[in-house]
Amino acid sequence: MSDYAGIREVDVAVIGGGPAGIAAAIAARKEGALKVVVFERDWEAGGILQQCIHPGFGLHMFGLELTGPEYMDRYLKQAYEAGVEFALNTMVFQMDPPAETDGRKTASFWIMSPKTGIEKVHAKSVVLAMGCRERPAGALGIAGSRPAGVYTAGTAQRFVNMEGCMPGKKAVIMGTGDIGLIMARRMMLEGAEVVAVFEIMPWVSGLRRNVAQCLDDFGIPYYLEHSVCELHGKDRLEGISVVKIGKDRRPVDGTLRFVGCDTLLLAVGLIPENELSRMAGVEISPLTNGPVVNDFLQTSADCIFASGNVVVVYDLVDFVSEAGERAGSSAALYAMGKLSKPRELPIETTPNIRVVSPQKLCGGRDTTVFVRVAEPIEGRCRLFAEPGIFSQTLRYARPGEMNEVKISAEKFRALPETEKCVRIGIEAF
Amino acid sequence: MQGFVKENGNYDVLIIGCGIVGATIARELSRYTMKIAVLEKASDIPFGASRANSSMIHGGFDDEPGSAKAKFCPKGNRMYHRLHEELDFKLRKFGSFVCAKGESEERHLKKLFEQGKANGAVGMEIVSGQKLREKEPHTAPDITAALWCESGAIVNNFEATLAFIDNARQNGAALFMETSADGLLFDETRSSVRGVSTNRGNFRAPVVINASGVYTDVISRMAGDDSFIIHPTRGEYFIFDRTVGGMVTSFLFSCPSALGKGITVTHTADDNLLIGPTSVQQAGRDNRNTTVPGLDETFDGARRLVPGIPRNMAITTFSGVRANINTGDFYIKALDRPRGFINVAGIKSPGFTSAPAIAEYVAELMRENLGDVVKFENDPAFVPERKHIPRFIDLPNEERARLAKSDPKWGQIVCRCESVTEAQVVEAIRRGARTVAAVKLWVRPGTGRCQGGFCSPRVVEILSRELGISPLEITRHGGDSYMLTGKTKQPLLPESAQ
Repeated sequence: MSDYAGIREVDVAVIGGGPAGIAAAIAARKEGALKVVVFERDWEAGGILQQCIHPGFGLHMFGLELTGPEYMDRYLKQAYEAGVEFALNTMVFQMDPPAETDGRKTASFWIMSPKTGIEKVHAKSVVLAMGCRERPAGALGIAGSRPAGVYTAGTAQRFVNMEGCMPGKKAVIMGTGDIGLIMARRMMLEGAEVVAVFEIMPWVSGLRRNVAQCLDDFGIPYYLEHSVCELHGKDRLEGISVVKIGKDRRPVDGTLRFVGCDTLLLAVGLIPENELSRMAGVEISPLTNGPVVNDFLQTSADCIFASGNVVVVYDLVDFVSEAGERAGSSAALYAMGKLSKPRELPIETTPNIRVVSPQKLCGGRDTTVFVRVAEPIEGRCRLFAEPGIFSQTLRYARPGEMNEVKISAEKFRALPETEKCVRIGIEAF
Repeated sequence: MQGFVKENGNYDVLIIGCGIVGATIARELSRYTMKIAVLEKASDIPFGASRANSSMIHGGFDDEPGSAKAKFCPKGNRMYHRLHEELDFKLRKFGSFVCAKGESEERHLKKLFEQGKANGAVGMEIVSGQKLREKEPHTAPDITAALWCESGAIVNNFEATLAFIDNARQNGAALFMETSADGLLFDETRSSVRGVSTNRGNFRAPVVINASGVYTDVISRMAGDDSFIIHPTRGEYFIFDRTVGGMVTSFLFSCPSALGKGITVTHTADDNLLIGPTSVQQAGRDNRNTTVPGLDETFDGARRLVPGIPRNMAITTFSGVRANINTGDFYIKALDRPRGFINVAGIKSPGFTSAPAIAEYVAELMRENLGDVVKFENDPAFVPERKHIPRFIDLPNEERARLAKSDPKWGQIVCRCESVTEAQVVEAIRRGARTVAAVKLWVRPGTGRCQGGFCSPRVVEILSRELGISPLEITRHGGDSYMLTGKTKQPLLPESAQ
């Protein structure tokens, strides 16, 4: 054991120093937890926002349109003031299932850094805030060759914004996830040609405002119901084949065409990074690919909380920060032995809801449940939580944008004992 | 890489191609004092069929008794069980099942069983479908019986190929990358070979071994032997995330048909799930494209063995081109004229398994036929053992801690998915990796679930730093496969500064 650098005891351990983790750490300190440490594998805190140099962050939180680094800077200042500790360039590579000590569950995991080598960490509670990763090209089973020049949009963003290098000169974007839309504009601003954006679904998966600001304003065409089906080029990408997809979800005969490009950027979905959660034995939802949580953002393992994109992929960072705060204060209360759960009810949803998070309610405080529809509803509709908790009229509901269901703790607590669940849904008028 | 030199030196033996065949021959010959050079056209090793295959070490029941395949395969299998320790590459003794559905396929299992006994395969047993499902609960309920073969094993085929050539180089063999054999050199009467002409100049030697995979017939024709034809045959594969690797714990074959061994499902040496291959003859030797019908066929075929394979857990697809030969069997021959030219052709499945046994045979063939031009003197300095770069992911925490303490680069994770450290990448570069793909073949960054999304910028940076070149010069796999095309802010600079 002599080569281990030691064992660290902490009250609240936060895994991941992006917007969710930092908000959680600040909230944990404010709630009264003493030793709160953020473990971050990158050299700097901030997560993916470090490379998001475009504006659009903070509209809900600060009423301002900030860039990613500006948004993070505000949180980092708060974190230092609140006495949050950071372990940077430190990778959590192994998590153990929670152990029981003195009748309470506690967590432990292993960290490594070039500076201190390997250490074990014992924590009274943990907040998982590892974020998500991009779905790679290989996962799509695109036919053709394996040339250089095929990147996920986020990797390309890192090359451009952090390394100062261009991944290509003439790009096609596959998928309409927000990073893809942002990178279409970014490539254009750096002098590259952006030929087109292709989306397999009949709707855009990113925010409408990004379509307007990143594609329309720059004259970049986008095509819905189009699938990139083949890559061409031996060394560097020389072009792609694209085909129109019909209403039956199959390629339409005679619509296959070649599009010349040296770069293909993919924005075809984000996957929560839950390898550590699985090691810890936390229950994962097959719908969100993230941990199943209640409104304390507590997972199936009592001492482990989770927030941000590791739980469910959000559309706005402001919501991620909000979730981080909730998870951080819950984790602090748990660490101090003060978290009480009067009652826990599952949430049931109408079939047109694809994603719901959290999946359970305890009613400790006022809370927000986030839902995404499976398919767009273009027209007035009603978002509700029953019985009698929440109702709101919406102008539309789209898969790219999350809807917030406000749950009042008072109304939740007033539910009769006979209620076995809370029903959340959207219905068109 | 090495530039053009008119005369690139004199050797005793030249090996064309550094796939598993060329690499095992180089390693076998490096036991002797002879001067060896291996000429490889690609930028990374392994490149051809040795890179893209099922990574199976076959038991040896599949081949017609009396054939060269039946002779070399079981012997090769036994050699691998020893060699993986000597040369430190990953081999896992999972065993294999051939799965039969119904009576006629069960009859075929019996035939394979008898054939295996005749070939000297060991550890075989025919078991019921029930018994199969006890060991492999995810296999299809309509499988009625299976042929178990205990000696079937899985290797990491990248590591294995690299291990042989790495050890050969430690023992003095020279390896020339990005060096293509464009022609042969002869004496005046064309009665003996004298070497190989390449894009990097002439290499001279009295013995030339043709281990060029799908190009063996082309090179053989240069020597005047046109007695065989290679039919490049494509096979397409899927690799799945580690989290579903545990769906099977061994290597599962479909019952073979006239078309080949069919689609297989396996737990790889690195705990992924691998399915494939299809078998489609094609005109091009270098066409390693995947196709929509090919990938669908692979997936449908695998689902006949393991119905629950989730397509959304695939992390990548690839295809390989086998060097199928019109004569059917391996073709290993030292020509009488021109003397000194040896063909090692048609080494398709079970070629990877057979390679070490073939290498021994080629050495014997040389000693018998060419002992007068090349001396077989044992090299007293020969070291048979060799160590791979430590695999951080497989180490116990005590050992990880020791390494991280010894060098901070061992404490720096570069690839999150496969837990690859900076120290591993640096060592791969020191041992010859020059491209992003080569680093991946050596130590696996980019083989995981994010497929290089997080680590490729880091690997480019480390390659650039260690090789002392600009990131703009780093390629994915050699040639013009540049990862990056320029610096940012160029539109703002005056043209003269760009």
